[in-house]
Amino acid sequence: MNPDLAQVGAEYEALIQFLYLAPVGLVQADIDGEVAMMNPISAQLLMPLSRDGGLDNLFTALQDVAPELRTLCSSFTAPSGKICDGLHVHLNAGSAGKRVPQILSVTLLKLDGTRLMAVISDITEQVRRERLLRQNDAWFNAILTGITDYALVSLDAQGRLCDYNATIARVTGHTEAVLGQPYSIFYPPGASTPEHVHDRLREAIANGWTLDEGRRLRADGSAFWGSVMIAPLPDPEPGGAAFCLILRDITDKREAMESRRRETLGDHLTGLANRRAFFEAAEQELQRSQVMPRPTALIVIDADRFKTINDRHGHPGGDAVLRHLAGILGDTFREVDVVARIGGEEFAVLLPSTDLARAVVVAERLRASVAAHPALLDGEQVDYTVSAGVAAAMDGSGGVDLLLKQADRALYAAKRAGRNRVERWRPEMIANNDRHLDENSDAA
Amino acid sequence: MTTTSITFDMPDLAACLDAATPEQLDSLDFGVIGFNLDTDVVLYNAFESQAAGLSQQRVLGQPLFTNVAPCLNNFMVAQRFEDAQLEGAVLDDTIDYVLTLRMRPVRVALRLLARAQGTHRYVLVQRQAR
Repeated sequence: MNPDLAQVGAEYEALIQFLYLAPVGLVQADIDGEVAMMNPISAQLLMPLSRDGGLDNLFTALQDVAPELRTLCSSFTAPSGKICDGLHVHLNAGSAGKRVPQILSVTLLKLDGTRLMAVISDITEQVRRERLLRQNDAWFNAILTGITDYALVSLDAQGRLCDYNATIARVTGHTEAVLGQPYSIFYPPGASTPEHVHDRLREAIANGWTLDEGRRLRADGSAFWGSVMIAPLPDPEPGGAAFCLILRDITDKREAMESRRRETLGDHLTGLANRRAFFEAAEQELQRSQVMPRPTALIVIDADRFKTINDRHGHPGGDAVLRHLAGILGDTFREVDVVARIGGEEFAVLLPSTDLARAVVVAERLRASVAAHPALLDGEQVDYTVSAGVAAAMDGSGGVDLLLKQADRALYAAKRAGRNRVERWRPEMIANNDRHLDENSDAA
Repeated sequence: MTTTSITFDMPDLAACLDAATPEQLDSLDFGVIGFNLDTDVVLYNAFESQAAGLSQQRVLGQPLFTNVAPCLNNFMVAQRFEDAQLEGAVLDDTIDYVLTLRMRPVRVALRLLARAQGTHRYVLVQRQAR
């Protein structure tokens, strides 16, 4: 062989191997996501997500877990640049299998009007470490900032207020009449459950402290943005104070916090929680329900014949319907329920301390409400319906994946039975892996 | 044994591959990757070498799932071999997959073979008609 050619051949082979071995996924695609080139790690990470067994299109491969990518790309108007940088894509809650990534990071770069590059990597471990760090940050934040404005509250072993002082009056406006009430008196109705009151006390004992932030109520019913930290007292007197609770009004920090929340935990289209927020919350709730058994329900909701809506009204029309549906979802459920968009037209709601029968009632109310309130598109009325599948677990041992599979099977049954229906999971519906509805049969 | 008798979907293929000569393996029209119990590649036939653009000397002795075919390092492929090894079980599954041969995504059928007592395990690669 010609020595120059042999040299080029050897260099080509080395370059190929370099790309084969690169420890991150690299994909080049056209502007619609059609894959031109990809390296092996891309296939390793994306194949388990592929519905059709192929990897012809990047957006299609990721559509169940990152439905926003296509929109992000089409709404990116600059001629080139980063469309998203390290977007977290939550795959599932995972069952500790060591080879099952739970969170991917996706960076999309627009090269020009026709080409995209994507970098995909498994960041499951990294996110776990960061979450721990964030909790520590929150703790320092709680101690070191705004220390002039707090209520100091003593709680008994059951989480009831057992001491009254001027700081409670200053921050919440409550009088001594509040003594003996559980600390959930500071939370809006529907933002906590009796079980959650005890969960947090247990977590405070286990971890030394527990912290949460959100909307809180004063005695006169007015709301403020507050952080609640609970820590166990070192030597509780029998029958006396067992915990101390610090309630701070952090309304002035709310905007910054909420925008960070929206960025990382919100769905860009609907403003509901995203997959990541949903799985984090569901995992936590199911773990809690293993410690103190109580029912947890899951409702999976899917817009019926959504493809037809998209075909008739275009993607902006479809998006408007999804936003409309998100509004009804927000009105139907409690503040403690986690309402999330988990796929293109698929939504999920986690209902803490709720049994199957109760969840079916709420799901049915949702279905009826959607059927009765059409969306409006440019003044035109668009009627649509939803189907829902409902499942519940008495303890969280099966994890969120099992619950989700069961709710999905029930949803499938609702679709099969004609749509605009609510079905509950029954054991004879086998919870197999085939959780995807056939797009065509749904559009038929 | 003649080469014409070895086909991608024949029964008891692992035994035939164990007995085949390098020349026979190189004449096959599908890819053969053989690896040992430590997952190091011990066999890489000409068809696979040509399709992937890697010469045999770059691949032989390298750990399969990290240095040769990282795309197989997930629960669909690597985990199956690992589970079969742990349980001492026979593995003979054929699955649809996508390989990134020279960075082009290519639909293939993979046949995954491990015998209960065998020291060689195989990933066989057949391109699918598009």
